[in-house]
Amino acid sequence: MEITDFEQIKFFEKYTGEQLQKIASVSSVKEFKVKEIIFEQYDELTEIYVLLQGSLSLGISLPKDKRIHLGTIEEGQLFSWSAIFPPYISTAWVMAVTPAKVIAIDARKLNAEIEKDCDFGFKTMSKIAQTISHRLSDTRFQLMNQLNV
Amino acid sequence: MADNTNIYKPLRARLEEVIEESPLIKTFVLIPEREFIFSTGQFIELSVDGVGEAPFTPSSSPHVTDKLEVTVMKTGYVTNIMHQLKSGAVMGIRGPYGRGYPVSNFEGREVLILGGGCGLAPIRSLLFALEHMKDNLEKVILCYGSKTPTDCIYKPLFSRLNSIDKFEAYRTVDMSEEGWDGPVGVATTLLGRVKVKIENSVAVVCGPPVMMKFGTIRLLEMGYRDDQIYLSMEKNMSCGLGKCGHCMMGEFFVCKDGPVFTYKEIKHNPEIWK
Repeated sequence: MEITDFEQIKFFEKYTGEQLQKIASVSSVKEFKVKEIIFEQYDELTEIYVLLQGSLSLGISLPKDKRIHLGTIEEGQLFSWSAIFPPYISTAWVMAVTPAKVIAIDARKLNAEIEKDCDFGFKTMSKIAQTISHRLSDTRFQLMNQLNV
Repeated sequence: MADNTNIYKPLRARLEEVIEESPLIKTFVLIPEREFIFSTGQFIELSVDGVGEAPFTPSSSPHVTDKLEVTVMKTGYVTNIMHQLKSGAVMGIRGPYGRGYPVSNFEGREVLILGGGCGLAPIRSLLFALEHMKDNLEKVILCYGSKTPTDCIYKPLFSRLNSIDKFEAYRTVDMSEEGWDGPVGVATTLLGRVKVKIENSVAVVCGPPVMMKFGTIRLLEMGYRDDQIYLSMEKNMSCGLGKCGHCMMGEFFVCKDGPVFTYKEIKHNPEIWK
């Protein structure tokens, strides 16, 4: 991938050209068809993703093959953050609602870059922390809604 | 006021139409016996003779004075009786009361509105008011969440807003249903997709307390200052006059000093999200 591809995406703002080059060197573009499962809950993950085009559904699995749709991933959003942290197991499933194109970043190589470069590491971890923080906040909000609090 | 001689005496209004918005929510179209003037965001006390009254914020345009629309969610004794009323019934209106949205402060700015559930009723009135002054506004964005697609009220409003210059409207649902292909997630998730110039913007939040809380936190995180966020507080308004004390929130009577406050005015009060 080229650096210019990353510069258009809000998630990658604040990175320097050199840092974007690092991300580009460990990234590829992947495409998914409608209803294709990108990963299942409890899958071991090796890539984190940023959605370039399309719309994705995120949810959790229940007993008896039931699935709950908890949220929608919009263009520019990061998902599959579990690939960065041990035990690298997904906490949710993600499915393509429309034809989707994502940037797939090799999580182990990204982690190696994070360890080498503190500034790059801080920016990356801040963005991942914000994604997790929003997901947690939205889940609490949804929980309180369901409990009619 | 409904009657200059007796502030407790309601103005009579004929129920012209009842619109079913969702299984629990109906809109009552009322024809008051004389012109009824209110500012958007102010509330009224709507009554049924021999039953009781309850506070509601009109959902209709403040520029229409011969007809009033009030959206009522079935939640208790009085609202249950209201939901059984048919066209032709007579209801009572007291008010309008309180401080509504300071729309003149919105001139020249972008207005981001976050709504949830039945909170869309006051917002609808605000949207009419903003549409009326749209030449003096930069942009109006509505982000609205309901529990399910069925629970969404004023469904035609969204396509209408998206057809108006300078207006954008987005919907989400907490739980999807068959046939729904829009976003799923709580209302605050929609804030990630809007583009606003925060320094020249105001935000309005209206909905259930839990949504107001999470919505305000997300707006602050986006960079809104506490004096740029307007909250429509609903706190058991009863007399509407600041006499009975039911609506007290710290040093404020919500019925008299509100129901619209900036977050700056009330953020020190621990009761605001209760």
